[in-house]
Amino acid sequence: MSQTLATRTSSFFEEIVAETSGIGANLNTCIQCGTCGGSCPSAADMDQTPRTLFAMINEGLREDVLKSNTPWYCVSCYYCMSRCPQDIHITDIMYALKRMAIEAGYYQKTNKAKAPEFSETFIGYVENNGRSFELGVASRYHLRYHPLGAVKMATGFGLKMITKGRMDFTPPKIKGITQLKAILKKSKELGGEA
Amino acid sequence: MNNSKEQNEKVGVYICRCGSNIAGIIDVEGVAKWAEGNANVEVSRENQFMCSSTGQELIENDIKEIGLTRVVVASCSPHMHEKTFREATERGGLNPYLFEMANIREHGSWATNDKEAATQKAKSLINAAVERVVHHQPLDKIPVDINPATLVVGGGITGITAALELAEGGNKVYLVDKEPSIGGHMAQIDKTFPTLDCSACILTPKMSDVGNHPNIELMTYSEVESVDGYIGNFSVAVTKKTSYVNDKCTACSDCEEICPVSVSSEFDVGIGTRTAIYRPFPQAIPNTYTLSKTTDDSQCVAGCPIHQNAHGYISLIAQGKYEEAVGLIVADNPLPGICGRACAHLCEDVCDRGNVDEPISIAYLKRFAMDKVGDYELQRPENEQKQRVGIVGAGPSGLACAYDLRKNGYQVKIFDALPTAGGMLTVGIPEYRLPKEQLEKEIGKIKDIGVEFKLNTKIGQDITLKELEKQFDAVYVATGAHEERKIGIPGENQDGVLSGIKFLRDVRLGNKINLGENIIVVGGGDSAIDTARTAKRLGAKNVTIVYRRSRKEMPAAFYEIEEAMYEGISIEFLTNPVSVNGNNKVQEVTLQRMKLGTPDDSGRRRPIPIEGSEFDVPCDNIIITIGQRPDIGPLLLKTNKWGSVEVDQVTLQTSRKKVFAGGDCVVGPDTIVGAMAQGKTAAESIHRMFQKLDMYEGREKEGAYYSNIKVDLDGRVIAKRARIPTIPLEERDGFKEVNLGFTEEQAQREANRCLHCSICCDCHLCETVCQPNAIDYSMEEETVFLSVGNIIVATGYQLFDSRRIPQYGYGRLDNVFTSFEFERMITASGPTEGHIVLRDRKTEPKRVAIVHCVGSRDLNYNEYCSKVCCMYSIKFAHLVHEHLPNAEVYNLYIDMRTPGKGYEEFYHRLLEEGTHFIRGRVAEISDAASQPEEEGKLMVQVENTLIGKQQRIPVDMVILSAGMEAQADSAEVSHLFKMGCDSSGFFNERHPKLAPVATMTEGVFIAGACQGPKDIPDSVAQGGAAASQVASLIGQGTVMMEPVRASIREDDCSGCRICNNLCPYSAIEFIVDDEVSEVITALCQGCGTCVAACPSNAIDGAHFTNIQVISQLQGMLWDVQPEPEKANA
Amino acid sequence: MKYGYYPGCSMEKNARSYHTSLMSIAEPLGLELNEIEDWNCCGATEYFSIDALPAYALVGRNLALASEQNGAERLIAPCSACFLNLKKTDHVMGEYPEVNQKVNTALKAGGLNYQPGSVSVHHILEIIVKDVGLEAIEEKVQKPLHGLKVAPYYGCLIPRPADMESFDDPEHPTSMDGLLRSLGATVINYPLKAQCCGGHLTQISEETALELIRRLLKNAADNGADIISTICPMCQLNLDAYQDSVNAHFKTKYKIPIVYFTQLIGLAFGVPEKELGIGKEIVSAQPALAKITNKAPEGELAY
Repeated sequence: MSQTLATRTSSFFEEIVAETSGIGANLNTCIQCGTCGGSCPSAADMDQTPRTLFAMINEGLREDVLKSNTPWYCVSCYYCMSRCPQDIHITDIMYALKRMAIEAGYYQKTNKAKAPEFSETFIGYVENNGRSFELGVASRYHLRYHPLGAVKMATGFGLKMITKGRMDFTPPKIKGITQLKAILKKSKELGGEA
Repeated sequence: MNNSKEQNEKVGVYICRCGSNIAGIIDVEGVAKWAEGNANVEVSRENQFMCSSTGQELIENDIKEIGLTRVVVASCSPHMHEKTFREATERGGLNPYLFEMANIREHGSWATNDKEAATQKAKSLINAAVERVVHHQPLDKIPVDINPATLVVGGGITGITAALELAEGGNKVYLVDKEPSIGGHMAQIDKTFPTLDCSACILTPKMSDVGNHPNIELMTYSEVESVDGYIGNFSVAVTKKTSYVNDKCTACSDCEEICPVSVSSEFDVGIGTRTAIYRPFPQAIPNTYTLSKTTDDSQCVAGCPIHQNAHGYISLIAQGKYEEAVGLIVADNPLPGICGRACAHLCEDVCDRGNVDEPISIAYLKRFAMDKVGDYELQRPENEQKQRVGIVGAGPSGLACAYDLRKNGYQVKIFDALPTAGGMLTVGIPEYRLPKEQLEKEIGKIKDIGVEFKLNTKIGQDITLKELEKQFDAVYVATGAHEERKIGIPGENQDGVLSGIKFLRDVRLGNKINLGENIIVVGGGDSAIDTARTAKRLGAKNVTIVYRRSRKEMPAAFYEIEEAMYEGISIEFLTNPVSVNGNNKVQEVTLQRMKLGTPDDSGRRRPIPIEGSEFDVPCDNIIITIGQRPDIGPLLLKTNKWGSVEVDQVTLQTSRKKVFAGGDCVVGPDTIVGAMAQGKTAAESIHRMFQKLDMYEGREKEGAYYSNIKVDLDGRVIAKRARIPTIPLEERDGFKEVNLGFTEEQAQREANRCLHCSICCDCHLCETVCQPNAIDYSMEEETVFLSVGNIIVATGYQLFDSRRIPQYGYGRLDNVFTSFEFERMITASGPTEGHIVLRDRKTEPKRVAIVHCVGSRDLNYNEYCSKVCCMYSIKFAHLVHEHLPNAEVYNLYIDMRTPGKGYEEFYHRLLEEGTHFIRGRVAEISDAASQPEEEGKLMVQVENTLIGKQQRIPVDMVILSAGMEAQADSAEVSHLFKMGCDSSGFFNERHPKLAPVATMTEGVFIAGACQGPKDIPDSVAQGGAAASQVASLIGQGTVMMEPVRASIREDDCSGCRICNNLCPYSAIEFIVDDEVSEVITALCQGCGTCVAACPSNAIDGAHFTNIQVISQLQGMLWDVQPEPEKANA
Repeated sequence: MKYGYYPGCSMEKNARSYHTSLMSIAEPLGLELNEIEDWNCCGATEYFSIDALPAYALVGRNLALASEQNGAERLIAPCSACFLNLKKTDHVMGEYPEVNQKVNTALKAGGLNYQPGSVSVHHILEIIVKDVGLEAIEEKVQKPLHGLKVAPYYGCLIPRPADMESFDDPEHPTSMDGLLRSLGATVINYPLKAQCCGGHLTQISEETALELIRRLLKNAADNGADIISTICPMCQLNLDAYQDSVNAHFKTKYKIPIVYFTQLIGLAFGVPEKELGIGKEIVSAQPALAKITNKAPEGELAY
């Protein structure tokens, strides 16, 4: 984070409101009580607590926020959201921040969690087959991004799952895949903003 | 706008700029100029501040110089300055009601930034005012005398202050409080912030001043029922709740010491208990006792057909008062030990404890008391009566009837066909459940009070009903139901097929029975179980019960079923016999499997045979126990198609006037208490007949009924029902009693599980010890009517219920306390004598967390800041430091709010004392340890927002600083006093800045926390403020009231009287002679209801006449083109 | 009772036993489940992190198919993530016209259309507890689970479905507690019953996930659980498949079997273990199931 705070630029906040199609509109009513940070199961690994992030957003610190690893550690358990005294839709905002970080190409540099890669690998299968493919996702994602994990995968967890017959070897595919592709293509044209 | 002058009035229009408040948005000059265009307007001016003296002089001069006849001022709300301008008009020499005000600020410039629209609206409002004012009539204010008496509602510190202020000034004050003592929340508090004065020490002197003041009439344990009238003349109905204690009470506390009931104390909130007859706290004012008692009985008492006072004897057993318990039991019940063993205990089915964990073991507790005390005496008559009553049947019904009649002194003789008294008790219930000795003992007690028995005498055979009718003044027939029904299947009449009831009878009477080794018992009731267990005891090898429904529907007592299975009896559910096979001697039975269909009228699901599921089982005997039916014989009594005697449902009178009938011979096979209840009903009827009383009046609650008491079951500690000890299996070969009865320790624990639904348990012990005879159970609620001139409402607040925030664990985690629990704990006179301890009442906490903003500043609960919590939270921190110098104290806050004299300094002091202040709203409190050091602690999880890290703080005790809330009933209360309340339920003041204690209703004032969260100093200040406003009104003696009143034009009145009933102030009366209605001006409030309702348009509302209102509307719509008339086809 | 049924990807393979056990109790419970034909993945927790509108559109296709194939019937999802995505998409489309319009434009490209609100989405737990009811379940019980100490585990999304109304308490859900009790089991009350299982963090930040899993296992164990009953494939997977990793990482010795609540219902109904997919779990359930006795323990006994 820069040494002295930039003067507030509201545009970033408006950007988020738009990205959440209005769901995050009351973010500016945050009273900084920390209920979210206190409730968060993965707060320990976050470089900023959600509350801090919201203060930064309201001060328009776009780059610092989008470089933060915080959204990537959100497990969407919705505790913060159901407890927030100001009724702020925190989880949805976290998803929005992830999307904006990817768009801005910020996340690779900072965050140690490899969430985006995992998500992308995962939806790669979904977009091409219409179904997720655990073995494929896991192995491919690990091989690509941390081979060590792949070894662990193949020997430990993965092996057990396979011996218990709980993993497919071939990716399942839906019949209407062309239809689905058409739908997804169109939706992407309409812009990620929704 | 109006360009033609129909009235020859000269209107002056004055438009206020209000600095930039109005002129900033509205084009004032433009509007002023425009207004001149109205034909009625003589002059139109604008001015910087119309309310200033120059502004007012403007009006005065124009009236004098130009000769204005009407005045319109367009400025702010009439609330602000209508009075001002009316006075100016008057000074100018016009009647003040020839003035009209247009609100172009609140309704114009402040409502929008759209200059165009605001200006346009200003024109309309002014034009409307002009069109209206020309039709105004000169009116004179109505003088109203102020009744100097004042009603103060609420006896907290605010109400106390107000009451004393007024009383000191020599005025009569009625102080009403719904609690038994005044003092409110302040009486519960230990120390007050920031000065740390002892709350009680500064409050109690004021309380006793109230108690002793000649001008104050204190009405505690009372509530305002209705309020009528208007300023100066309110008439108020106040209901005094029944305290069952009259003014002879000397507060000696003898009653409190003997009362066996213990319920949670309202005053000591969660952590203390009180008795049913109680005084909230030692310094209570008035210093008297109150008995809390519901109108309905406790569930157990209501649910018992004979209304045995179970609540009473349970409470007494809990206290070890066994003699008293027995006294209470035998007052209602001549078969106490028998019922304690064999009663179907319907009371337990309705026991509210069952909604917490399991019902209380009520029947066995009764048995315990009887066994423990051993000998007892039934009640004897006070004086003998000559009437004689013959009772046929010495079963429970006859015996109960006999006892009640005997208590009233009547001469009773019981006949029975059997060689022993007791009916089904003797021949229907096996000995291992009900020993012979017990029976003989209790029959003996009935003989002792003078009831005669004639056994071996069968009615209709050895003696006829006619003869009885001759010998006795009344007869009660309770011959029971001793004939087993048949199933109606092939082969049912062969040898080896036995009737259950006959089987049991033969066993009890010692008759010879030859029983085989393999027994099938058919049925699912208690007698099926009794038969099976008896057969087992007679040496049968294999005993199997076949029942056509599933276990869920089985009518036999659950416990009995368990025991039977334990004794090795097998039960085939969903099975039914279809035929008995053999040649004159049973060899086998064919059974068929069933499945459950839709519920029948008994509510139980109907069994349906499964085709082809038949199977044969070899057996030596089949015993049928599917229910008995009455065997009336030649009784000459009208019977119905089931062979039961027909009787009057209420009185049990039969077709023959002197003969009554009840019990199983009327209702068919029923429980013991069921039969007893009928006996008691018959006794009551016979008594009424003898005393020539009404046979029907007030008998609704005879027999079991549903009690409407609702007990708060929240946060009750689970405590399992005590299990009755039994003899080991190997001792069950004979007929030795199986149940051993509770140990004293068991009984005490069990009795202590009682929730005391009706609070008072009706044991009347308090009566016996009260020397001044101050306790009066016959006392009834009374309503008193007060006439007062003014009312001050100071009903205070309630504490936010911390249970509503589950993640804070209150009610689930023992050592989470509320702020008031802590206040009581820290008070020297409180339940823990001022020791800070955990729920175990021993352990002192080493680490304490104080959680701010509980239920406040949260859209999910209360949006507002509760104002006092920060301060009392740091006060708590200080008190913990003071009591436990080594304890670590954590205050967890969102923002520290300490505005007020000496408040910030107090905060500073706590910082010095070393309290940990952590900025962050607590996310959750749990007992889930994730690290070794967290074991056995309460974990407070929070984000330390000043560091930006999540923190888990292990503590021993948590105090939740719950916020202030409007009283739950504030909406109704505000309606009662015709004032408004905001969305949070706090009462609305007339003006947030300028009239904080006045309301929109003249003569009704509010003060203290009922208006919004505030601390003691602010509340006291408001109490004083309200008092002085009232005092000022009293000083004035009379006030002038708006002359807005309705009046009826006699000629136009059709005398339809519609208005009479519509008037909410009953201010309209009908003059019979003239056949017209007339308004009583003194009572009329000018609401206008009658004006609108009058079908013949005969009522005028002064200052709101039709012409005035319509002209105003037309003026308002000056720029709207009227729609062209549609041609009527 | 007829319902649309959306299994979700996990049910196909890793959570197969959830699917088979559900199928084997559907009939006795009187549930007629019609699987949505050619349904596609719901996007799990991943799609929304990448691209919002396609994420809605992806789910939109399922909703469209559901309403097309089942009219206005209710749609059941057994997986918490699927349930949330389906319910949330329907909700957001209903609340935010802009989203609705865009999603339907996208669906149109596939010749589909969805009217928000025309399908009502429910999790299977809600249906079993509310529509079927404990009374009816009790009657079907043939082998009560007497003596088995079960820890009901709810996870996040059923008690807290975003900003939408939940059928149970968001902090202390109890619906499954009652259900298990009606099966004769002893229900363990433990504070973390609605805490997070780690979700996809097992994939992207294993250490974080393992700590969350450890806390859950510890808390359940501390309160005496023989077995944990789950209602979501992800929860089952994390607690079951990563239990060894937890033990290795924290030097602990947890051996708590994780089963689906539908498997326990099946057992109580007397369905053969094999049919219920018992044995597919990585931490074997056998030692726990061996504790089932035929007599209700003292104190558990109704009076």
